[in-house]
Amino acid sequence: MIGRIRTQTAEASQVMVDWMEHRTGIVTMLEHFLYEPVPKRGAWLYTLGSAVLFTITLQFLTGILLLFYYVPTTDHAWNSVSYIMNDAYFGQVIRGIHYWSANFLMAFIGLHMGQVFFSGGYKAPRELNWVVGVILLLLVIGLAFTGYLLRWDQDGFWASVVGMKIGSYSPFVGGYVVHFLLGGDAVGPATLSRFFAIHVWLLPAAIAPLIGAHLYLLRRHGVFGAEFEYTDRLAKLHERQRLEEYARLETTEDEGEPYVGRRDRADRERDRE
Amino acid sequence: MVELQKDPITRSDFLGFGVMGAIMGAILTIPPVAFVLSPIIKSDVLGESDVGSGWVEVASVADVPQDTPAHFTIEFPLQQVYGTKAVENPNIQDANSKFTLKNAVWLSWKAPIKQPGRQGSNGDIIGKPERPAILDRKSKGFTDSERKEIMSKLNVLSNSCAHLGCPVRWMSDKQLYLCPCHGGLYDINGGWVGGPPPRGMYRYTAAEVRKDGKLYVKHRYNIEKGLDKTEPYVV
Repeated sequence: MIGRIRTQTAEASQVMVDWMEHRTGIVTMLEHFLYEPVPKRGAWLYTLGSAVLFTITLQFLTGILLLFYYVPTTDHAWNSVSYIMNDAYFGQVIRGIHYWSANFLMAFIGLHMGQVFFSGGYKAPRELNWVVGVILLLLVIGLAFTGYLLRWDQDGFWASVVGMKIGSYSPFVGGYVVHFLLGGDAVGPATLSRFFAIHVWLLPAAIAPLIGAHLYLLRRHGVFGAEFEYTDRLAKLHERQRLEEYARLETTEDEGEPYVGRRDRADRERDRE
Repeated sequence: MVELQKDPITRSDFLGFGVMGAIMGAILTIPPVAFVLSPIIKSDVLGESDVGSGWVEVASVADVPQDTPAHFTIEFPLQQVYGTKAVENPNIQDANSKFTLKNAVWLSWKAPIKQPGRQGSNGDIIGKPERPAILDRKSKGFTDSERKEIMSKLNVLSNSCAHLGCPVRWMSDKQLYLCPCHGGLYDINGGWVGGPPPRGMYRYTAAEVRKDGKLYVKHRYNIEKGLDKTEPYVV
């Protein structure tokens, strides 16, 4: 009896999975994400990108929750943050997660960049993914900067004043930068409104599609340093060395198969077919 | 090899795309860009200011002590977003109250400069601050010449650090102004002594003592064009 139920459930779930796979291809996609072959040595370093994705997701989720109580006006901003911290149920937890995961986000981004840089993961054909990553880094820095003012306490206020005046030292456009951020020529209600708009809409809206592009490019070329890639490249290198050796020894016109440069996953898959 | 353009483009097509693209692009981009950049248009192109340009009362000059600076908080009317004239309509009950820009003014008596500081030095060598003798006798009802003398001896300084705008504070044990953010130092005249600021403290250029013995200032500062032009956006 139990065995039959088990078989039927398995069959039913298999039908569901097949149905989804046929229409969205999501199962193969998940397979790629979950069963990515990476070298045994230093495998933990390959989780840094996922750590960044996780903390940034936390930012989105807790940020949405904080918006239920936060009021972006000069006379209520501090009070509403105080309400979140003292009166709202689990307010300290929600805001604490937003605050701490923002801090850890910056640290994870630094480590992630370091890992990619020192392992040479930015090299062809993954240059564009590095470029997208750097844009994402700048956007996250913008988010960190604009989020600081929203608390409207002495700490965040003066840190933002200092940050904006640092912008005023930039050549030629300094005054424009500051007036844009201030929303006028003095710190006031317009400044808070602008920082709020930039923090909760402009930058998140810019960051979301770029995260998508980052992940798409990652899937297109695969994680750098995957084992099959090394074997593939080594075989290619040996083949090239062999051909060069022949070319040196023989003086015939036939120079063998020309070297076609580094190849990405799309090329490899075409060869396999 | 990938190919994006499958059909050949003719000259008239190209012209049409160009003209239509320019018109459509202008219609689509000008309103939102001007909307977002309106503060830049107002303050940099039209030269308007959000801060009220009228006189604001600071304090009675007789309250400024002999040796140490005294600070006073003043409020300039501020017109931004929900603090504008159109919004603050007194006929509408729901309209919000006024918004102000809070500034602090440091007042002190000028100390004579014995030897001006040079590049890389520790600032001017200064003597003792000099308080006008008239103030011992009376605190209001000054004549024109007395008012002139008072103004020539009074330092009217903004508390905004010339480096990055943090509020400076008078350290009585060191006899210097200290900025808490990056350690900018100024003497009692507001002259640069040490630290990262590229110049001395900002002075109020529009300041006057009136018959009632009180000092009035406008939201104007000594900002030279060129390298020193780091405006006191936040005071």
